[in-house]
Amino acid sequence: MALAGLIANSPKKDTLGDVLVVGGGMSGIQASLDLADAGFRVYLVDKSPAVGGKMAQLDKTFPTNDCSMCNLSPKFIECSRHPNIDILSNTEVVRVEGEAGNFRVTLNKKPRYVIEDKCTGCTSCVEYCPVQIPDPYNQNLSLTKAVHIHFSQAVPLITYIDPATCLYLQDEKCNICVGVCKHGAIDLHQKPEKRELEVGAVVLAPGFETFDPLPRNDYGYGRIKNVITSLDFERIISSTGPTEGEITRPSDGKHPTRIAWIQCVGSRQVIPGGNSYCSSICCAYTQKQVILAKDHDEAIDATVFHNDIRAFGKDFERFYQRAERLPGVRFIRSYVAIGREIPESRNVTIRYATDSDGVKEEEFDLVVLSVGMTPPKDARDLANKFGIELDSRGFCKTDPVNPIATSRPGIFVSGAFQGPADIPESVVSASGAAALCGQLLAQQRGRLAREREYPAERDVAEEEAKVGVFVCHCGANIGRVVNVPSVVEFASTLPNVVHAQESLFACSTDNAQQISDVVREKGLNRVVIAACSPKTLEPLFRDTVREGGINQYYFDMANIREHCSWVHSKEKDDATVKAKDIVRMSVARTTLLKPLEEISLPVNKAVLIIGGGLAGMTSALNMAEQGFEVFLLEKTKDLGGMARRLHYTLEGVDVQAHLADLTGKVYRHPAIHVTTGATIKEVAGYVGNFTTKVAAEGRLKEIRHGAAIIATGAEEHKPDEYLYGQDDRVLTLLELEGRITRKEEAVTGAQSMVMIQCVGCRTAERNYCSRVCCSQAIKNALKLKETQPDTEITIIYRDMRTYGFREDYYREAAKQGVRFIRYEPNGKPLVETVNEGGRNILRVTVADPILGQKLALDTDLVALAAAVVPSSSSLALSKLFKVPLNADGFFQEAHVKLKPVDFGADGVYLCGTAHYPKHFAETISQAYGAAGRAINLLSKDSITATGAVCDVNEDACVACGACISCCSYDAIDFRETARGKKAVVNPILCKGDGLCNAKCPTKAIYLNHYTDDEIDSQIDAALAG
Amino acid sequence: METVAPIKEITDLIRENGGKTFDLCYQCGTCDVVCPWNRVRNFSMRKIVRQAALGLSEIDNEEIWRCTTCGTCPQRCPRGVNQIELGVSLRRIATEYGAFPASVAPIVTVSDNLRAEGNPFNMERAKRADWAESLGVKDYVEGMEILYFPGCYLSYDPRLKKVAAATVKILNKAGVDFGILGAKENCCGESIRKTGNEELFKHLARQNIKTFIEHGVKKILVSSPHCYHTFKNEYPEFSVHFEVIHISEYLSELFATGRLKPVRDYGQKITYHDPCYLGRHNKIFDAPRDVLKRIPGSEFVEMQDHHENSLCCGGGGGRIWMETPKAERFSDIRLKQAVDVGAQVMVTACPYCITNFTDSSLGLPEGQAMEIKDITEIVQEII
Repeated sequence: MALAGLIANSPKKDTLGDVLVVGGGMSGIQASLDLADAGFRVYLVDKSPAVGGKMAQLDKTFPTNDCSMCNLSPKFIECSRHPNIDILSNTEVVRVEGEAGNFRVTLNKKPRYVIEDKCTGCTSCVEYCPVQIPDPYNQNLSLTKAVHIHFSQAVPLITYIDPATCLYLQDEKCNICVGVCKHGAIDLHQKPEKRELEVGAVVLAPGFETFDPLPRNDYGYGRIKNVITSLDFERIISSTGPTEGEITRPSDGKHPTRIAWIQCVGSRQVIPGGNSYCSSICCAYTQKQVILAKDHDEAIDATVFHNDIRAFGKDFERFYQRAERLPGVRFIRSYVAIGREIPESRNVTIRYATDSDGVKEEEFDLVVLSVGMTPPKDARDLANKFGIELDSRGFCKTDPVNPIATSRPGIFVSGAFQGPADIPESVVSASGAAALCGQLLAQQRGRLAREREYPAERDVAEEEAKVGVFVCHCGANIGRVVNVPSVVEFASTLPNVVHAQESLFACSTDNAQQISDVVREKGLNRVVIAACSPKTLEPLFRDTVREGGINQYYFDMANIREHCSWVHSKEKDDATVKAKDIVRMSVARTTLLKPLEEISLPVNKAVLIIGGGLAGMTSALNMAEQGFEVFLLEKTKDLGGMARRLHYTLEGVDVQAHLADLTGKVYRHPAIHVTTGATIKEVAGYVGNFTTKVAAEGRLKEIRHGAAIIATGAEEHKPDEYLYGQDDRVLTLLELEGRITRKEEAVTGAQSMVMIQCVGCRTAERNYCSRVCCSQAIKNALKLKETQPDTEITIIYRDMRTYGFREDYYREAAKQGVRFIRYEPNGKPLVETVNEGGRNILRVTVADPILGQKLALDTDLVALAAAVVPSSSSLALSKLFKVPLNADGFFQEAHVKLKPVDFGADGVYLCGTAHYPKHFAETISQAYGAAGRAINLLSKDSITATGAVCDVNEDACVACGACISCCSYDAIDFRETARGKKAVVNPILCKGDGLCNAKCPTKAIYLNHYTDDEIDSQIDAALAG
Repeated sequence: METVAPIKEITDLIRENGGKTFDLCYQCGTCDVVCPWNRVRNFSMRKIVRQAALGLSEIDNEEIWRCTTCGTCPQRCPRGVNQIELGVSLRRIATEYGAFPASVAPIVTVSDNLRAEGNPFNMERAKRADWAESLGVKDYVEGMEILYFPGCYLSYDPRLKKVAAATVKILNKAGVDFGILGAKENCCGESIRKTGNEELFKHLARQNIKTFIEHGVKKILVSSPHCYHTFKNEYPEFSVHFEVIHISEYLSELFATGRLKPVRDYGQKITYHDPCYLGRHNKIFDAPRDVLKRIPGSEFVEMQDHHENSLCCGGGGGRIWMETPKAERFSDIRLKQAVDVGAQVMVTACPYCITNFTDSSLGLPEGQAMEIKDITEIVQEII
């Protein structure tokens, strides 16, 4: 079983180099981009009229509350512009034949009744269509037309006709749209088209469905109007939703002030029609919705009715605390029943249980059902077509040692089809799927890849500045507050501005295309886009400007959203004035902008992997199999890391067998160079060209590599409480696992055992959840029950966090008689030794909240679920690679949602428990993910660096070294010149933060694209208002 | 806060007495929020389950006798705990120790009566068929289409004898060839079993089974959902399988096949109360509604809680024999639900429900009235 997937997926000679990705949600998009960037041709198939999936329906994402669409939309465009990706929307897979490396896929392109090449997305047809239908994008809470665009940022941004409601397609009664369309794009006689593809591998990323409470009328859903699902609520709070972000309730459109959320709807239940597993995401998304609701309207009282709070993810614990501490927010630990709908007010009463005060009934204006995740509706059909197996719950059956592998070689699975997963996990498994496809198809890398072609860059240096200003509505985000037409009118009066216009969503594909066109047609040589923060969209707009045929640095973003409409939402007039000021400043600066060149550098194809545990070895083997040279460093004498202390997983994997197999393969692989007992002394260089000095066995060696993966793992906390270290009957869960495996007398002879959870974490000192311990306790309890069923086992916990399918094992443990007692942080269990009748008894005392009594448990052993803590080497390593740690000491990824295995520093990647505590299978998934991302870089022959970096005017440099000492990136050095020592900037390392500019006493060092002149002009323009 | 030590022996004892699923509880509180008791006073089933899981059950406590076995919490429990099974187990232990709190004391007399006379009322066994004397009901003989088993309440209770009479009238009208067992009939034993008296239940069940077999009974028509439940779901524990049909199902069938025809208008607004043992326990929701919707000239309305969510009358689980203070009667709340939807007649199909609702209807405030009728009593008026 171990590594079976890997062997089956090892590189083959006669494979095809194309990959089919099924499902255009976040995971499918990420897999496509990673594959395409790594040199494979990708067909991205989605059965919907546009890509985007569920994430496109979300307002914000936890735990950062970033705008979901703002993160997703650039990815859409990246996909649509990528020369190696063909997006096939409105298309279904009919049949798959062949085998790994050589599949023949038959597709059916459903008629959209709109000719894709002719439609411009002008929506005239939508305007004239007489048929109003509920809008599925808005959860049927608003109306759209039978012909419509899926949503404003859709890719492709063209209309489609819903055949079920179109009057012509039903009864041939109406064809207004045909006449209205000036482009002749409507074709009501379109037929389905068959298409055959030949691909080497397949990635299945069909996503999930939300649990449908309608069939059972859960909590009155479907009967009571003011009971809605969390996805309904997501649309309601979204600025692109049915009420443009105003929170109203369905019965009367009034603003609800008392909102209740009910958790676990459809999840954690063995009732017919429900799902036994935990859906993993609902606790966190509910907390997000509570925070957002309070943001929208402080007057809202939010009540969350829950069971265990499952804040098991990175920074989730703090996120929960943030929601819980808001004024007017209550978290009540009780499942509930609907009392009744009050006929006059349409309010809903909810009955909930208290520990000591009986059942209470309370009235709410709106009730949100936190619905769980279910497999995609067509999962069975998909499984049949692709010849893969499903698990008992209807999700994709995966290999326990490789959650990305399906039961059929060459077909991989990413995202929530694996089982409940949040966005970063779906991104990780997507990158991992790309890595596994790469492993299978390595021989074909780059053969089918196409280069992106840009128009030649026009030399405009001698021209007078001709500025175009595009003011974005951002749906309602800006437009509802700022008077956009008035800003446009104002902009057109500014000096040098020759063109000004509005944009509904400047970032949408058609708007961006239109901007490029205008640049060319009007001969613009400067572009200002007044929209959002440059943080996410600047690369996209630079690309847009480049498409217009001018240097991409002739562009500036005026942030009238974060800096204006969002913070001044209640002062519309003033906000409009401010938006004009911001635009004026931007235009002034833009006229002075200079064209900049980007630097291209070769890439060293080797990777350095730091940490020889499960994560590091998994990444290493995957990359080596794809032909990359791997240097694997391990600080101890042996490979294996923390996994050496694990013997079995909850799902029954023999960890040591897997580890032995993996270790053997790693040692034997000719492309992997293992160094044990290794310590990194120095890291120099930059993305694509690192030089790392490593000390091992008394020798210092130098390794040159293009990328690095940090997989240094984590450690077990050494408890300083509960008599640990004082009484040898008190041990940690890991120690217990070792003793169970060795069948030690202390364990086999134990009549009773108490496990205490959250030892050393979820505290003020370590304010995070160690994620794995609840499942570990259950795992060990079940293992013990197998061989010694009469041993009494009690687990004392705060919240059982057996998320996902682990919930089934939690129930199984209870079924086998394992007792569970919950404690509050202010009522921690007491472990003491008591002398009774000459015997030295180990006793645990803890209060039971339901009984209102303290329970005294005499026990033979106490096992402590000791926290997973960051590796002691993390800090040093973070300094060497200049990558950050988070507040808890774990490595901090570049972006919690979208770049979960990347660092802000280019060329350095992250996986395993160095990132955050995680389970065996999760670690493997992330290791493939990191490998996928690293390969993305290493498969390129060269990389480019931004032009917006510092440079030195050597005439003015006095070689004082102030710039060198303040640079956080070691980007500046001295070099000898004919005129003595002068500072010199390494443009690859420079991040363009400009700190040195402020330190330099002679203004010798300057930052391109942010020169003093440019900034002064901006300030002058600000003051001119 | 008091400190106690979990007692494994108690947990084991509860398991031995039939409580098998209490370990599964994750204390979500669902049982408490759906329990009808919490509409009238505090009562925590969750606590009872918790105590069992930790071996801290209080066998002499009145709380273990509250559950009416209405079946709402086991139906909704996300973890699959069967609270009824646990309750019965605890009551078995209490019965074994003779630990009956004052309000439960009548059970002792009821048990004596059941053992001696086959009914809970201390009425003579010989008079069991007196209700049928003037109606010309035949004794059951092998080969008849149906055995009609009216049960204890319809045999002895003055109010419920009318239901038995109505049933006979209907069966005659439809030309059904049926008979009764009369004095040979014993209490079905369903409710006494729920009070924890397993031995007595077995005694009664064996008696009935013996009689059924001796008379060559194949199909049994019952008026009480409690008889229905035990014949259908519990007597098979004795390896016998009789065809059982509840009168509401049978009426629906008689109408559907044309053996009964509605000919007169009823002219009242009616609502229907799902008895726990007919609805939740045996999923018979549609048959009685099908019958009521055939009543000419009547208007049918649902109360706030119906079908699976029906509110218990308070009579199951042996509670029919215990005293419930006036302020704690679910039947009062239920009756108010019927009043709230403007019903004039509340129809049901269970002798316990009729007993409790009739009692509650006497306490309705001035100006409010509610007729409580068995489904057969309406049907007999319109055929």
